[in-house]
Amino acid sequence: MVPPTIAERRPEVVTRGVASGRTSWATSATSADHKEVAKLFIGTSLTFLAVAVLAFVLTRVHLITPDSTIFRLELFSRISTASMTAITVLFAVPFALGILGYVVPLQVGARGVALPRLNQLAYWLYAAGTLCFFVSFLYTVPESGLSPLPPLSDDVYSPQHGIDAWIAGVGLATLGFVCWAINMVATLKNMRAPGMAWRRAPVLASAARVISYIVLVTGPAMVAALTMLAIDRNFGGVFFDAGEGGEPMLFAHLSWLYFTGIHTIMVVFALAVISEIVPTFSRKPLFSHSAVTTSLIAVGVLGTLAWMQNLYASPIGEGFTFFAMLMGLSLLVPIGLIYAVWTLTMWEGAISTRAPLALSIASAIALALGLGGQWMTSVVGSGLLLENTVAAQQDTILVIVGFVLAGFAGLHYWLPKMTGRTVADGPAKAAAALILASASVYGLAMFFAGLASQPVDASRYFAGDGVGTLNLIATIASVFLLIGVFIELANLIRSYGAGRPAGHDPWRGSTLEWFALSPPPAHNFDAVPDVRSPEPLRDIREAIREREATFVPPEPLAASSPPEVGVPDPGDDAGMSEKAVETDAPTADPEDIVSGEAADGSDSDEESSDEVEPADEAQPEEGRAAADEPHEGSELDTDDSGESGDGSSVS
Amino acid sequence: MLRALGGASLGLLALASPASAAIAPDVAHSPNAEDMRVAYWVMLIVGSVVILGLIGGLLVAVRRFRTTGHGDEPRRLTAGSGIIAKAAGGLSVLVLAVFIFGVAVSSGVRDATAEEGTEEIDVKAIGQQWLWRFEYPAQAEGSFSEGISTIFSYSELVVPVDTKVNLSIDSTDVIHTWFVPALGPQVWAVPGEVTETSFIADEEGLYTGSSTVYSGSSYPTMRSIVKVVSADEYEDYIAGLNASIQAGQSAVQESAPGGEESE
Repeated sequence: MVPPTIAERRPEVVTRGVASGRTSWATSATSADHKEVAKLFIGTSLTFLAVAVLAFVLTRVHLITPDSTIFRLELFSRISTASMTAITVLFAVPFALGILGYVVPLQVGARGVALPRLNQLAYWLYAAGTLCFFVSFLYTVPESGLSPLPPLSDDVYSPQHGIDAWIAGVGLATLGFVCWAINMVATLKNMRAPGMAWRRAPVLASAARVISYIVLVTGPAMVAALTMLAIDRNFGGVFFDAGEGGEPMLFAHLSWLYFTGIHTIMVVFALAVISEIVPTFSRKPLFSHSAVTTSLIAVGVLGTLAWMQNLYASPIGEGFTFFAMLMGLSLLVPIGLIYAVWTLTMWEGAISTRAPLALSIASAIALALGLGGQWMTSVVGSGLLLENTVAAQQDTILVIVGFVLAGFAGLHYWLPKMTGRTVADGPAKAAAALILASASVYGLAMFFAGLASQPVDASRYFAGDGVGTLNLIATIASVFLLIGVFIELANLIRSYGAGRPAGHDPWRGSTLEWFALSPPPAHNFDAVPDVRSPEPLRDIREAIREREATFVPPEPLAASSPPEVGVPDPGDDAGMSEKAVETDAPTADPEDIVSGEAADGSDSDEESSDEVEPADEAQPEEGRAAADEPHEGSELDTDDSGESGDGSSVS
Repeated sequence: MLRALGGASLGLLALASPASAAIAPDVAHSPNAEDMRVAYWVMLIVGSVVILGLIGGLLVAVRRFRTTGHGDEPRRLTAGSGIIAKAAGGLSVLVLAVFIFGVAVSSGVRDATAEEGTEEIDVKAIGQQWLWRFEYPAQAEGSFSEGISTIFSYSELVVPVDTKVNLSIDSTDVIHTWFVPALGPQVWAVPGEVTETSFIADEEGLYTGSSTVYSGSSYPTMRSIVKVVSADEYEDYIAGLNASIQAGQSAVQESAPGGEESE
């Protein structure tokens, strides 16, 4: 019995054409749709990327010669503080949260998020934080570096209110991140598509879970530290006042826990984005899905626990430094495994070096350089030589550059989903080469300067220090870094108006976000498919291909022709209508191959998919084995995997 | 594209090569600084091999299997869980080996191991914005009742060669770092917490370093300076400090009968 391919037409409500009473910016600002909130996160954070890179180059320009007097000492410290705060708190975290907040609910087949208003509050808390921080430019800018350690940040040594602005800004933004994380955890827990057990969840969704928990652990710690500091400064508290029985090291521990958490978030995010892009552009599944997702959890745990790596020189016990060293060294295992999985995924693949992959490879190189450098200095002996010098700082900067490149790769990959338009390849590849090359030269020059013990955050060095040439090279390289970042930012902005329409699935992706329209409607999906593997969309394509090969159109339905496969969609941005679903190749007949139910409430344990095992007579034994044991061998490792997803339906 | 990218980065790295003579840190002049150099060199070599391995695999894969246009779907390689487990095992062994090496080379790195019969002196190094104060309480002549509990100097620590110098590091205001790369590890000076470190300088000379924790606007001038001199010169230096503090003390006592210390 051949099932009908085209479902009967049913009456439906089509919302297209109902005009909104609001202007577009008001809609964006007030919408609790996770996609609108995520776009605000991405846009605002990219603004601060530009600010941070500009401020960074300003500090480098100041350091172009020994004994520089371009800026006053205080002004240099202010610019440098602004640069470091902007790149970590105001750019890196919210940018990652933005991409994750847009893509992950789509990837797990959710029609929204669990706590949309909390998600919206997250953005506005972050926005209030950026405002607090930058309003301080109108009176006194904080100048205590990335982490204003007491007693320097006490009211005695920093009586100006710049530190208070910093506390308020970072504190509000961090509260926002915590709100975001609560929503993401609740969404991932409750709203995954039917059949999407964790072992079938996309890598980026696993990363979102890891990142949420990092935020939930480190964010409140930082808010507590900031609250104590605010009480010390304004209400006569003595939390960090050694003379009154307080403990200055407490703030150092809590703030480094937070900033190490941010560092780990950057690494996890970059690794996850590259792990999404590499299989798509190699036309192969990840060599081992479970190895990557497990490794991401390990990176999250070990990376965060390594916070005392920054405190080797402080008065903590030797045992604690060895603990931090073990955590830092152990990071090699999960990160090395992920690199190995990437290499094995590309091996014998059909690699297409489009911009997302080129940016990913550049990101992987920058990450390897930065993380490798940090791995070297995580041994206590070498750490005490290089820690807090510009040699250790350039490792961090290379990791940030790797994060930025991975973020650009992610934008190239997912902007067609967000805007319906592609981003140009050429400028992106040029920018990737420029950014990677200039960051490498910068890193090398600063590594040597660090060996000559040039300290971080210093507003000047002296002619006798012997680091003049190195700083000149680093400054020139940082200018090229700036040019590269701005080329790519301009390229991204240009795609909004001038990009070619991308269609719904421009990269032939295998995860569920490509099942939605581009851009997706407010409710994301009309119908959510059952998930039987980490590559649900590939299963659907296979099912369509197989059916087309064997299908004989039944007489009564001859009037409507079967859907065409492979025809690029013009990028219809209307609401999801049945017509749109039919013209979109992967979703050719939703009534037949998808579950009509939303993912609501279903905890999507693996049994749910096994119950709806397709009644395919061809190879029932093998099919069951493949569905039951995706960890054995790469999930879906055969060419005939298309049998799954065929002909079954859950209503 | 990627080949061009790799070539461009290599070319730019080559431009920076005049600096490559600087790949070695300052020569160590204290046993614990020697240990740090050992850790540095081993980790530089192992780390470089690891980095090259990670990057090399990716670049080789991209170069070999790059295609243009939409060809056939490639073979879907299966991941026997074996190869991942083997890789994880290999990396774990490497990590464990490096960890054991790290513990061995870093244990007691703050404390220079002295040979039998090495003389020792105790010095208090007290950080303040933006210079160091050095106190030699044991070398002070005169007694507490005379108003002299210690002799001291600022900025420059003068110590004898081949003598173990035990430093007690403290701060009176904000956090600073004591750091002379040739003579040992960096040590934070945290107010309210005394941290001990030591070094044995094996050669006379002037050794310098910088504080590495931001301590306010003049932080770049917060330098750690050690002048290592012969035993005789050191005796003269201490005698000079004692003489000057005695002179200062008598001057104060003559002008102010209350006898307060005003230095």
